[in-house]
This record gives sequence, structure tokens and C-alpha cells, in this order.
Amino acid sequence: MTATDTQAIETQATDTPEDLSRYHRQMLLPGFGEAGQRKLLGATALVVGCGALGTVIANMLARAGVGHLVIVDRDFIEMTNLQRQVLFDEDDVANAIPKAEAARAKIAKINSQVNVSAVVDDVNHTNIEWLAGVRPDGSDAADSPAGRKVDIIVDGVDNFETRYLANDCAVKHGIPYVYGGAVGTVGASYPILPHTAAPGTTGETPWEREGKATPCLRCIFEQAPPPGLNPTCDTAGVIGPAVSIVANFEVLETLKILTGNLDAVSPTMLNLDLWGNTVRQFKVARAYDISDCRCCHRRDFEFLDGKFASGTTTLCGRNAVQITQKLGDGQKLDFAEITKRLEQHGSVNGSRFMLRTDIVDNGEPYELTLFTDGRAIIKGTQKPAVAKSIYAKYVGA
Amino acid sequence: MSAPVSVTVPAALRPQVEGQETVSAPGATVGEVLCGLREQYPAFGEKLFPNGGEQINRSINIYVNEEDIRFLDNFGTPVTDKDQVDIILAIAGG
Repeated sequence: MTATDTQAIETQATDTPEDLSRYHRQMLLPGFGEAGQRKLLGATALVVGCGALGTVIANMLARAGVGHLVIVDRDFIEMTNLQRQVLFDEDDVANAIPKAEAARAKIAKINSQVNVSAVVDDVNHTNIEWLAGVRPDGSDAADSPAGRKVDIIVDGVDNFETRYLANDCAVKHGIPYVYGGAVGTVGASYPILPHTAAPGTTGETPWEREGKATPCLRCIFEQAPPPGLNPTCDTAGVIGPAVSIVANFEVLETLKILTGNLDAVSPTMLNLDLWGNTVRQFKVARAYDISDCRCCHRRDFEFLDGKFASGTTTLCGRNAVQITQKLGDGQKLDFAEITKRLEQHGSVNGSRFMLRTDIVDNGEPYELTLFTDGRAIIKGTQKPAVAKSIYAKYVGA
Repeated sequence: MSAPVSVTVPAALRPQVEGQETVSAPGATVGEVLCGLREQYPAFGEKLFPNGGEQINRSINIYVNEEDIRFLDNFGTPVTDKDQVDIILAIAGG
């Protein structure tokens, strides 16, 4: 699918943003005021992923009056989502509503001053720039849901491939990007004000002119964790507060950035372990100086170029999709660990070369076959986006 | 022999250290402490240093007192039992 095949469902604001009374309480805050509120109403945010993190982000940004939200997600709502995904309800599950569309419909009732574009699609290297409202050459993509380059990308995704894709897009085009991740009872968040020029030179963005640019996600974590190293919310579980706190931290940093309060933007990476009762702030500011980062130093956008893109092939006549995953040098999947996690869902069999298990996801049966090089065959669907979703949920990426 | 230095283990790697939140090993530098941990918990060592190599897994960072060891003296960074050492793995879920 090319980017332009994707249709966004739109909610147009029906109320006039002349009346700011609903934002009174936040306009009272120092550094906010009416000027800050006007900036929010004039801003466009891309919310990538609309699950546990994304629903909290979209909900709070809409209430705060961010004028245009582009919400993109490939999944449908399941009963097991309702425990933490705050914009959805039982009717959405019964009616099989896609997450992005359900979020759009809810937000229309929450704040009629906000435009929402709901895009039901997989985010990948062929469409992320278009979703962010830019063409590869940096000009505005007038035919995109945003209509112009978005002001910020906020992270609600469940895998690292999409995060590095968002990071590449942010660094290439000078768009702030707020990272957030959560699983089990732990979470992390970090706002990125990207460097857009070669090291030693200063780019044109407000944050670079003010000397406030920060390291990108790849300066900090050079490589994505291999699939299966991290547990996923579907295998290890997750509690609502973990995602909610991380998502609200992302919202907080987004509001600071969109209102121009760059002095207040967190210079550290927040790490929470809610069961271990620890809140840590790791100093990451110097990562840019020492990293020789491929992305923001060398301007080599490997994820955007599709170099690490997981590939999907629909296997004709087999009702199955094959996923190929490009692992880092020498990496292979840890079958023992993945088996332990998948056993939460059913019996797992196989050998040291492959694992096989049956999974019931959202009422539909699938058979997952996994190989040590990260490749998988997901039987029970012909849709690449469904197969990628199953992989992200049960294997992780 | 230096006093053991305790190291916080990310939740995802706790199965490799018998479920413990922190583990400890003696050592005067980050490298020595990690070497000690690798001997005590080989499966954990394999996650930190894949394929028995000397190169740390590039999705893992080590922090001493909330500062990345890459900004300090890397594995040569001196540590004592008074220091807070954290192993941080990129968190992917959401």
C-alpha cells in the first residue's frame, strides 16, 4: 500500500476556538497563558499508535486543546484492551471498531474545538513521512491528513522498529519527538528536540538556535532490542498506571514543547519501576557529543530507507503471512525465554530450529511458527498488518 | 578484595538472575563487576555480552549514579559499594 492509498477519516472542529474558557485552568499556569493556548490550538500532533499509551496521549492532548491530532493505528479493539486503553468501551469491542476511528469518535465528544484525522494503517517506512505531513524532500505534503509538516510526533507504539522510524523522520525533518515505552510495571520516557545539522554546525529550528537540541533515540540506544529480548504487554502483562504515567509524562513534555517552553523540557530520560518503587532520571544530554550517531550525526536514515524494515509476504493459498525480521549482527532469538512467555497462552512445541504455538487473538485463531533468525509464519490471516500486529504482541520487536 | 557493588537489573532480564531486582559482585571498575556477574549468572552474561563476546549488547546502557558510562570511562569507570549502578534496557511496549 502506498501512502496516498490510505484514507483518513476526519472530524472537523465545529466549535469556534475564539472561546478559550474551557482552557482557563491551564492558562493560569506560568509560561502558558492565552498565548500558549493559541499555540496549542494552532498546532498539529502526530500520535503514532493508539493503544495503552496512545489513548491516554490522544485523550489528554485533545482536552488540552491541541488543534489537530493525526492518530494512526493498525489494530482493532479487544476486550483485553479495556483494562488500560482509556478511550475505548465495550460497544467498540462488540462493533469491531478500529482503534484510530474509535478514538476519533470519542474525541469528537470530548472537545469539538479539535480536528482529528484517524488513519487505520500500519506505520512503515513508506508512509511515516506522509503521516508526519512531509515529503521526502522536506516540503509540506498537502495531500496528507496533517496538510503540512506536523509540529510534534508523540510515541504510542508497541515496538522499536516504528520508534526508530519515528526518530529518523523527526531528525531528518526537524520535528520534536517524544519517546515513551511501558511494559509490566516499568516504563520510560524521553523528549527529543532533534539536531538537524551536521555536528559542529547549528540548524535552523528554534531549539537549535536556543542551544537546546538533545540526543536522539539512537544516540542513547544504538540498536533496538532483538525480538524476544523484551517481554511484551501481551506476554508479560501490564498495569494501567505504568502506561498512564508514561503517557502523561509524554503529554507533559509535548505541552511544554508546543507552547514554546523549551527551558522546561526534561533533559533526562525518565525510568520508572512502579513495583520496585523507583523513579530514576538518567542523564543523557551528552550522548550526542560522544555517540557518532548514524542518525543525527551522519544523517544516515537507515530505518526511513527501509534497511531494517521487517518484510511481509502473503503466502498464496495458505492463508498465512511470512514476516522477515532483520536482526543485528550475530543476534538470534532466545527460544527458551520466548517459550516461557508464549506458554502463558497455550502449549508450545518445536525444536531448537523452530517454535510453534496456537494463539487466539481477539477471538481469531492463529498459528505462529517462529525461526531462530527472527522469521515467522503466521497462519490464519492474509493481511500483513494483522500478522505484524500478532508478531509485535507475542514475540516483540 | 573490594566490597561487592550492587547493580540494578532491568525487569526483562530478572529471569536470568533468579528473579532478583539487584545483584552484586566485587570489583573496582564497572568492567570487573560485570565480569563477576557474568561468572555468577552465565545466562545473564550472555544477554549483556551476546555470543560470549566482549561487546555489550547495543540495546543496553550502563549507568553509574545516573550517568551513562560512555560519558565516563566506560568499563574502566571506577566504582565502590557507595555507587548506584543500573543496567537499562530499551523499553519497547506500549
